[in-house]
Parts: sequence; C-alpha cells; structure tokens
Amino acid sequence: MASCAVRGGCPSDYVAVSIAIFSMISLIVRSTFPFLIHKVPSAKGSAFWIPVIQIIASFNFLLSIVMAINFLKYEKSHWWLSCYVWAVWFEGPLGFGLLISCRIAQAFQLYYVFVKRRLPPIRSHMFLPLILLPWVAGAAFIHGKKPLNYRCHLGTHWIIPVVSLHTLYVAVLLGFTGAIRHIEFRFDELRDLWQGILVSASLIGVWVSAYILNEIHDEILWLQVVSRFMLLLTASILVLVFFSISISQPLLSQISLRKREPLELKTMGQALGIPDSGLLLHTEEAVDVDPSEPLDKLLLNKRFRQSFMAFADSCLAGESVHFFDEVHELGKIPVDDPVRRIYMARHIINKYIISGAAMEVNISHRIRQEILTTTDLTHPDLFTNALNELIQLVKMNLAKDYWSSMYFIKFKEEARMRCCGQEMEEMSGTIFQGDFPKITMLHTRNKLRFVNCLAGYCKAISHEVMNVRFRSRFWFEEWQINPFPGFRIDVPRMSSSTCSRVISGGCFSSGFLFSKVFLLLPQ
Amino acid sequence: MGLLCSKNRHCTEADTEENAQAAEIERRIEQETKAEKHIQKLLLLGAGESGKSTIFKQIKLLFQTGFDETELKSYVSVIDANIYQTIKILYDGSKEFAQNADSSKYILSGENKIIGEKLSEIGSKLDYPRLNRELAEEIGNLWKDSAIQETYARGNELQVPDCTNYFIENLQRLSDANYVPTKEDVLYARVRTTGVVEIQFSPVGENKKSGEVYRLFDVGGQRNERRKWIHLFEGVTAVIFCAAINEYDQTLFEDEQKNRMMETKELFDWVLKQPCFEKTSFMLFLNKFDIFEAKVLTVPLNVCEWFKGYQPVSTGKQEIEHAYEYIKKKFEELYFQSTAPDRVDRVFKVYRTTALDQKVVKKTFKLVDETLRRRNLFEAGLL
Repeated sequence: MASCAVRGGCPSDYVAVSIAIFSMISLIVRSTFPFLIHKVPSAKGSAFWIPVIQIIASFNFLLSIVMAINFLKYEKSHWWLSCYVWAVWFEGPLGFGLLISCRIAQAFQLYYVFVKRRLPPIRSHMFLPLILLPWVAGAAFIHGKKPLNYRCHLGTHWIIPVVSLHTLYVAVLLGFTGAIRHIEFRFDELRDLWQGILVSASLIGVWVSAYILNEIHDEILWLQVVSRFMLLLTASILVLVFFSISISQPLLSQISLRKREPLELKTMGQALGIPDSGLLLHTEEAVDVDPSEPLDKLLLNKRFRQSFMAFADSCLAGESVHFFDEVHELGKIPVDDPVRRIYMARHIINKYIISGAAMEVNISHRIRQEILTTTDLTHPDLFTNALNELIQLVKMNLAKDYWSSMYFIKFKEEARMRCCGQEMEEMSGTIFQGDFPKITMLHTRNKLRFVNCLAGYCKAISHEVMNVRFRSRFWFEEWQINPFPGFRIDVPRMSSSTCSRVISGGCFSSGFLFSKVFLLLPQ
Repeated sequence: MGLLCSKNRHCTEADTEENAQAAEIERRIEQETKAEKHIQKLLLLGAGESGKSTIFKQIKLLFQTGFDETELKSYVSVIDANIYQTIKILYDGSKEFAQNADSSKYILSGENKIIGEKLSEIGSKLDYPRLNRELAEEIGNLWKDSAIQETYARGNELQVPDCTNYFIENLQRLSDANYVPTKEDVLYARVRTTGVVEIQFSPVGENKKSGEVYRLFDVGGQRNERRKWIHLFEGVTAVIFCAAINEYDQTLFEDEQKNRMMETKELFDWVLKQPCFEKTSFMLFLNKFDIFEAKVLTVPLNVCEWFKGYQPVSTGKQEIEHAYEYIKKKFEELYFQSTAPDRVDRVFKVYRTTALDQKVVKKTFKLVDETLRRRNLFEAGLL
C-alpha cells in the first residue's frame, strides 16, 4: 500500500481507471448512437464540431488525471510523460478548459438567440479559441515558471490562481445560464447546462479538498489513494453528464439509448407541437386545382404542396418547396410565442439559409445576409423576401412542367378518388364494365398504386447515379413477380417472356414501358 | 404487373390483341435498349449566369422543334419579371450609392423618385402586373434619369442582368397588349435555373442522314445547385463548360464577396479533377464575347486577381483579341495544371462563343459534334 500510494498501481487506482474507460466508451456510444443506429445525417458547422471537441476534451481531461496523479506505475523518463504535459497542458487548455469553453460557447449561442433574438455576432469557430486564450496563457506561464513538484502538485501560492481560473469559467457558464433561465426551452438545454454546472462545481470542490488534504497530510497514504480515486470518479461522471447535444442539435437530443422501439425522427414542426405538422389529414380539402391560380395560393393546400414537392424533388429542385413548407409551419406559430418561433427560425436558417446547408436554397446574397443579420428572429416577415424570390424561381422553372407531369395526374386521380370514394365504397362490386373484365374498387386502388410507382420511377430517371435498372426491377417485381394478394391488375397482359426479359435488364430508361401500361389501364 | 397469360385460357380475340400488344411492347423495349447505348451524354456546367441555359435554348431551337406559340407566350411573364426586377435593382442601387461620398450624381429628380418608389414596390411583390404602355413609359423615363444611368455604369457592383439594355430598348414592343415574344426575346430572357433539365436531340448533318444522338443536361450554376451535379456525372461523353469572360469585374449573385471569374476558375479546376471525368471530353465555351469586347477597352482585365499579370498592348480590335487570347491561355494553363498525366489524352477544346448568336452556336456545335464523332471513331479503333 505504501509504495502504490506514492507510485501508483493500487487496486482502487485500477478501479478508477476502469470507471474512466467505461465512462469514455459510454460517451462515445451516446454521441454516435443517433448517427449509427438511426442513420441521422451528420450536421455541419458548430452543431457537429462542438460536440466532437467536447468528446476530445473529455478524453484529454480524463487521461491527464490518470497520467499526472500516479494512477499507473510507469517511469517518467520521456518528455511527453512529464508533469507539465499532462497536469498543465492536457488538464488545462486541452481538457477542463476546452470542455467548459465549449459549453460557454453553446450557452453564449443560446443567450444571443433566445434573449437577444438574433444570431450570435461571433461564430463559434472564432469564439471558442478566443475564450480558450486565458487557459493557454496560464499554461504557458506555469510551464515557464516550473512550480510543480515530483508528485505533479503545485505549491500553495500557485493553487489559488489555478483554482480561481477553473472557478471563473464555471462562474461565466453560470452567468450565461442564469441569463437564460427564464426561457421556456422545449428541449433539455437548460437542464443540461445546470447539470454541467453542478457537476463541474462539485469536481472543483473535490479537487480542492483532495489537494489540500494531500498537501497537508501527505504522510497519510490512504488519503492520497482515496482522494485521487474520488478525483477520477468525479471527472468520469463530469464528462458523461457534461456532454449534451441538446444545444447543438435539439431534435437529436430526443433520441435515447433507453428506448427500445426505433424512434421516428420528428420534424422540428412536430417536435415543437405545431398543429397538423407533417400530417395529411382527411379533412384537408380536395382542391380543384386551377393552373391559372397563383402558385403561392395553390401551395397553401397541403395535398397540392406535397404533390408539387414530390415533383420538384424528382427534378432535384425540391429544396425551395421544402423551404416553403417549413416557413408555412413557422407561420402557424403565434407571434406571441417567441421561443417556439426562434426554434423554428433557427432550424430553417441552419437547414436552408446558411451557405453549405443541407438543403441550401437558391437565393441572393443580399437576402441571405438580411436573414443572417436580422435583429429579430421572431419577426413574422423574416423569410418573406426569400420566399418571394424562391416562388418566382419555382414558377419560372417548374410550374409549367408540373401541369403535364405524372405527379399532377396522380394528384388529380387521388382527388377524384377521394371525391368519389364514399360512393364507391358503398357499392359492393362492379363499377366498370365493358371490354375489360369486371373491375372492382380494388383495381382502381391498384391503378393509383401503380401511378405512385410510375411517379417514383420517373423520379429515379432523374437520378442518373442511381441504379435505375435496379429500381425499375424492384418495382416491376413488386407488381408482377411478387404480387400482393389482391394487388393485381388485369392489364397489361404481358407474356411471361416479356416480363422476364424486362426484369433481366431490358430497357428501363423509357417511361415508355410504364406509360404504355398506364394507357392500357381502364380509365 | 398484371396477370400472366394463363395457359388455361382459350385464345379469344381479346387474347390475340393482348398478345399483339405484348409483342409490340417487346419490340419497343429492344429498340430502346439498343438506342440507349448510342446516346451521348453532354453536360452543360458552369457558374451562375455563364450562359448554359442560353446554349440549351439554342440547341432546342436548332435541333428540336423550337418554341411554339404557347411556349413563346409563356415567356411574357418572365420578360415582365426581368424588367421589373432590373429597374428595382437599379433604383435601389442608386439609393445605396447616394448614401456614400460623391453621391449627388445618384440622386434622382423628384418625379422620378416617385416613379422609382412605385416600380420598386412592384418589383418586390410576388405577382407582377402585365407590362402596359403606362408602366413602360414610366420605366423608360426612369431609365433616362442621369442617376439611373450613373448607377447602371456601376452595374458590375450590383446584380444587373445582361439583358437590361435589350429589354429597355424594346419596351414599346414588349408592352404591347398583343405582345408575343420573339425567339430573340426568349434567348435574352433571364431565368435562373434550379434543378436539372434535359433534352434529347440529334444534329442532322448536311446530307440529312441522322447523326449522333445527344442527351443534353442543363443545370443551375449557383453554389447550392452544384451539389446536385454529382447525380449526373456518370457516363458523360463531354462536358461543355461555360465561362462568361465579361464577368471579370463582377461578383457572384449568391456571394457578393467573391469575384465571378475567380469562382469560375476554381469551379473549372474542381470539375477537371472529378474522378468520373477521367475520359470525358471537355469543351470550354468562353462565352459572352459580345459583352466582353465592349467592356475590355474600358475596364482593364487586371482588376481580376487571376489576370493581374495582364498588360494591355494597344487599342481597338487588336486589344480585344489580345485580351481574349490572354484569357484563353490562362484557362488552357489551368486545364493542364489540373489534369493528371494519365488524363492528358482526353479531348480539350476551347471555343469563343456568344450564346445569343444562333449562327455562332450552330457553327460551334458543329465543331463539337465533329470532335466527338472523331473521338468515338478513335475509341472504336477506326481512326
């Protein structure tokens, strides 16, 4: 016990190190879970980098404690094993300092967005290095003065400014968190911030206590062992509790490791409880669409909007319509609900407006800057100019082609079916008769399903890189080779040899095949 | 899809007809499979406003059925939009310039200010009114204001479209109640492309025998549109890269901090290095030569960082040619810098184009067609 207390390698040391390793693994699993299991696309910008930096800082912090405070028995013969590398640089600017700075950067963002109602004036990639500067300066100063003893302990008159720096940063985090405590966040942002503050303050408390006890009673070996065990244990809890994605990516924070059933990732509209968000209700009016009506009026109807969106997606121009859809959702949030409006506005900006965004829309520089430099994220006309510009774009590029597309045919068919659906359901069997065999409602539904497939096929043609043959084959098999019970159409009557030829890699680029089939269907 | 022919069914008339239909479908499948292999894929790439869609329209006019009356009429609203948006840009630009030093020349006269406000209001709406005589006159009067002319002279600092002069000069005709756009109007009409558009055509040779079949893809050129390009990169016969050589003193529509020529340079470099284009032919269209030749004598090339080594040698036509050759050389150097040694065999040709000029485009495309045919014959081992 005597030697392991001084040189490391006590059983409790190994337990503490195991806990630290387990904590790191849990942290990595928790951070990668949404991306690996639910296949969520990774975010860009600070929403991605800040959580990654947090994980790296957590690792550095735990490793610095293990290496600096004699948990393991090893000879400090190389420069990179020296106290200054681990107890000063890795613990400070690359560990605890970086960890808490990330949270401060996130709290700073939250403060600006929810209290000032505008986007932060300094981007995270500039703000983070800026607030890390005092740690770097402090570490360089300590490294220069070389006050550490053989046990990597600072002298008493050094510990005060060092602990003060740690405490100051926790206090700054406390300050930002206090400034936003009145905001009714929809996700766990505030809870995560308070948790982080509590655990980091506890850690500092444990650390100071351990230090004082070690310095004053360095002859009490069990005290050394216990204090360093407590230090690593608290640090392991800190890194796990400290990590949060709620601030960077609030929707992802809803994905939990505990939930067994796969979580259907909600849209921001659904997550915010916007009425009818993402739903296509039966009560939605079946609109008799008149192409001469202004497009922006027609797009207010959800069914039409979904049809038009699908068409636009097939032409690789869907982002404008998706943007319209989400701005429309934003419009449903009352003006006197600034928090939800800010969430939605921020989501729209991150997804559609920021350069390089996932679904960046084609708008002018001026309009983009107007949005990014707005002083009021809750303003009802925040996206109006952008919307106008995009509707013009969509009108000139897509509207004309939409009216002659399969998507519009499908839309009309669905509208017709909905109109007549009730009468048809009352009828027990035959609705058509003539040259073709008796067609029941089932066949009409099949025709609609077929039209859906055809529309999807047309979409596949646009995506040259996709294996068009593969997709066509799948649909063809779905209709022909693996007919679902009841999902069979009497037309076209293709010979088995024709079917198999097409499946084996015939001509798929022609919508001809399917359009011909469509024409053969009973009208 | 459908039921298979049941062996148990008796052959009826209906069955005979159905079999005939199936046979027809089979025949067409075979035909299309064969045709598919011979279709050559061409991509029109380039930064925003480089002239891709104008080339696309020209190809439609030259080798397809062109534009029928319905299509021509559909451009009325586009042309109206262009006019309102342009006048709004100029009016708002004059207000912006008037706030800076030496600003008196950008201040409009009282009456024109009222007209400007009215037209700016129209330009910011979603639906534009049909251009009529009254509005055309107001636009014409505003255009003649010296403040607007001074603003237009600094149009490179704003996003003034190239079609401005053309439409303003033809305002009377465009505002006619029975106005039907001409082909030239359609070519000048500015529509920012989003997504992907394609046409299939065959340039019929002089002996009227059918030539190669091409499938031409037009895309948007702004930065957000370029992530969609990747979907088109497989199996490309040739890339027609459009570079507007007049835009060396202008900034991007989507990023007013970035010079258009610098963006084109970086984009060309990126496209050349794409793995999919290892064997793809590159046709570089140095476009908008008509605007370039008017500009280069007054705005020196070396305002653009890429051309900072340029030294003018003379004036007039000689200087225009010298400047053009300099730009061409820069692009050629870029091509060879960005092309790995194993790719030097791919075809690279540079053409001087004015996309609005049908004769130029026809002649250019004929050369492109010949180049690609020669390449195909070479690859087939027949040359």
